[in-house]
Amino acid sequence: MAATESKKQIGIRGEDLACAELERLGMQVLERNWRCRLGEIDIVAAEAGRTGLTLVFCEVKCRSGLGFGHPLEAITYAKMRTLRQLAALWMREHRRKASSIRLDAIGVVLAPGQEPSVTHVRGVG
Amino acid sequence: MASACARSVALVGLEGRIVEVEADIGAGLPRTVLVGLPDSALYQARDRCKAAVSNSGQEWPISLLTINLSPATLPKAGSHYDVAIVAAILAAQRVFPVDELRRTVLLGELGLDGRLRPVRGILPATLAAQQTGFTRVIVPLRQAGEAELVEGIEVFGVGSITQLVAFLRGVPMPDVEPIDVVGEPADRHANRRLDLADVVGQVEAKWACEVAAAGRHHMLFHGPPGVGKTMLAERVPGLLPDLDVHDALEVSAVHSLAGFNLADQLITRPPYSDPHHSASVASIVGGGQRMAKPGAISCAHKGVLFLDEAPEFQPAVLEALRTPLESGMITLGRSEVHARFPARFQLILAANPCPCGQAATPGGHCQCPPVVVRRYAEKISGPIRDRIDINQAFLPLRKAYLKAALQRAEPSAVVAERVLQARDRQRRRLAGSGWQTNGEVSGSYLRRHLPLPDGLQVVDEAVDRGRLSARGVDKVLRLAWTIADLAAHDVPGRDELAIALAMRRGEQPGAVRLEAVGP
Repeated sequence: MAATESKKQIGIRGEDLACAELERLGMQVLERNWRCRLGEIDIVAAEAGRTGLTLVFCEVKCRSGLGFGHPLEAITYAKMRTLRQLAALWMREHRRKASSIRLDAIGVVLAPGQEPSVTHVRGVG
Repeated sequence: MASACARSVALVGLEGRIVEVEADIGAGLPRTVLVGLPDSALYQARDRCKAAVSNSGQEWPISLLTINLSPATLPKAGSHYDVAIVAAILAAQRVFPVDELRRTVLLGELGLDGRLRPVRGILPATLAAQQTGFTRVIVPLRQAGEAELVEGIEVFGVGSITQLVAFLRGVPMPDVEPIDVVGEPADRHANRRLDLADVVGQVEAKWACEVAAAGRHHMLFHGPPGVGKTMLAERVPGLLPDLDVHDALEVSAVHSLAGFNLADQLITRPPYSDPHHSASVASIVGGGQRMAKPGAISCAHKGVLFLDEAPEFQPAVLEALRTPLESGMITLGRSEVHARFPARFQLILAANPCPCGQAATPGGHCQCPPVVVRRYAEKISGPIRDRIDINQAFLPLRKAYLKAALQRAEPSAVVAERVLQARDRQRRRLAGSGWQTNGEVSGSYLRRHLPLPDGLQVVDEAVDRGRLSARGVDKVLRLAWTIADLAAHDVPGRDELAIALAMRRGEQPGAVRLEAVGP
């Protein structure tokens, strides 16, 4: 189906832009679209800080316009709760240790004919 | 990130307190939080404001938006904070300079289309803003006239958020169709041209009304149906003089709070309130869950409260009148605040003598058993009866009486003039005491600061025989003063006392009065 395909493409483009944004902010992307039976983590990144390594689990929401509201408004409490559980699963599977973890959200608006806008919100969960 | 503050007013009773509405745009997922003890109507302001802002071509911040109403301990109710909330949010986004909101109070509810809706209580809220030292108030366009009744504060009426933004930016305002004020006009009774001359006969009762109007005395009318009790009671407000500026402002403020439409002018005529006998206690004394609204007694402040068919009222309703009758004030306690409303009303009760209405009426054939008649009379309890100054019996009209009465039917204007003269005498005598009429003066002031009338033995005798209570003595004294004022006597004498005593006890003073004072 063409429409679904295009939706998927929007999602992928959005995640590309989100990764670029995280890297621009000095983070290192470790993994994208990690899946397990509970769900999916869009981006896992690492940020080196003064107190040590911070693992950043990032939820990306991308929309092609503001007609249905800003993409960040679609990131609900339930989604962030799932992301928290997924973060624990990811760490167990990868046996990664970090001094802290953080949940971020990124909203991407890909309005046709306009510059994409990327909004990054730190520490939402 | 960014924050700004706008001001509105919380009304507790007639007192207004300034509420600071702070908006903070901070980091976090888009969410709007409203804190500071809002009630449910106010909590919904979130959704109203959001729609109104987006429909006005402005942006609702896409981040964590915290709106705080402080002082946080004061419970806030109602929808009139909408405009202040939106102004704070827009100022936080620097849509207009933050400084524009200093010394300004904003009042009004928002429609989803971004237009301002009228709210109740604009007058008392503006008064509070002016007294707290604010120099400017912004209100819904159609209520600017009401706010302008308060002197010493700049009033701006705006019709919509678009107009508000343009105004605060200092650019020309676009045209908007404003939302009209709904609500019953506050002067609904003043325009009814009711004249005393319309009432046939009942010369004595008319005279009792004149005395009551002159001294602000409470009255009880009793008599068979169809003799003119209601007609006369409706005509009492027409005998009262205009309210002075202070009273007019207070009365108008109460009516504004009760949701009446002031139509841009102060209420200058004494109000009249005649609740039906099915009324609840809350509707009479005022009520409401967290924030109390004034009831019928406050809407009759400085005017007349007429309870027709008084025995049909729930006993609790009548008993609730006891304290306000004495104090001229009603305090409604709620979980977090106490609301006080003025309630210095003049009470007129009307009652039939029994369910069929014919008991104790010459020529009437009462069908009710004695116990029923007694029960009916008992519905107006002793304490309430004791607070009544004038007990006026109405007799059925006879043909000869009607003929005679027709000739002396006086128009209200003539009687009102005499009442005005009597009020002037009272005001001069009571200057500096804090009271204006005989009906309000305290008993101790009557006995200590005013000359005692001659012939007090008439009253003493009644007390000795147990026919008059201590409160009754004061009531009789007050009445006697009013009768003297009407007759332009400096001090009441034996005659005035005798008449006052008879009026208080509900006897027919008959010839004594007519000879002594004469209508």
